[in-house]
Amino acid sequence: MIIYDPLTGDAITSSIKSQPRHCFLMTRLGTPIPEEVKKIRKSIEKACISRKFVLIDANSMITGRDFLLKIWNLISSTPISIGVSHEGIPTKTQMNIYYEMGIAQALGKATIIVKSPKSEVPSDFVRTEYISYNNTFQKNFSKYLDSLDALAGHYEEIAHQLEKDPVLAIDYLRRAFLITGNKALKKKAREFVNDAGLYKRARNSVELLAANF
Amino acid sequence: MKTSKTTSSNKHDIVQLKNPKTERYVKIDRTEGKIVSHKKSPGPYKNIPVARKSK
Repeated sequence: MIIYDPLTGDAITSSIKSQPRHCFLMTRLGTPIPEEVKKIRKSIEKACISRKFVLIDANSMITGRDFLLKIWNLISSTPISIGVSHEGIPTKTQMNIYYEMGIAQALGKATIIVKSPKSEVPSDFVRTEYISYNNTFQKNFSKYLDSLDALAGHYEEIAHQLEKDPVLAIDYLRRAFLITGNKALKKKAREFVNDAGLYKRARNSVELLAANF
Repeated sequence: MKTSKTTSSNKHDIVQLKNPKTERYVKIDRTEGKIVSHKKSPGPYKNIPVARKSK
């Protein structure tokens, strides 16, 4: 997959290290954080741990470089992006969360909005899945995480059916790998590279970067 | 092991898979290596084999 640097507009031609079984959380990080937003985060984290996912956010990595580029890299490196929508989150922060949600969807990530009952979702996101933060949240969110394994299986199967388009097939394998962490998928991607004769390409070519997950 | 069907009319090897997210079937042209269409209504496409799980 070709990812363009949001700062320069040029393609990123270096590998982004994968973080399989990680969820990228988009929420209010700076103080003050509303009490209910803190509770939402704890509930998400609890469900993630129970399903062997690691929850990370923009503060989980310090690069010393551009913050926006770091966000792009974190979203790209993980399989799932979770956005929190709450009426107590300042508008500017909420706008950033939806911007990041858009990046995640454009990069083919699984996305989910966790919203408080009173918060409103922008019209562009009305078709995006959301889970209300209420008494059934823990059950519903865990169910959502469980559903991702089936999605990974689907991605893997699509990849097998798309062997005639190796770069696309490899990208589906990468998406399946990010959800499952199954290293056999990396091996399969290398087989696709070899079968299609792509190993002769430059190491930072689109094809080999796609397979280097 | 994959199930597929080559139609005599266009010689394309087309299969379908159910997307667990949408619960709808996706038609895939294996000959050209592309996703052809997504079914709008429930149930599979007629006369298109469902791909079995690859091993």
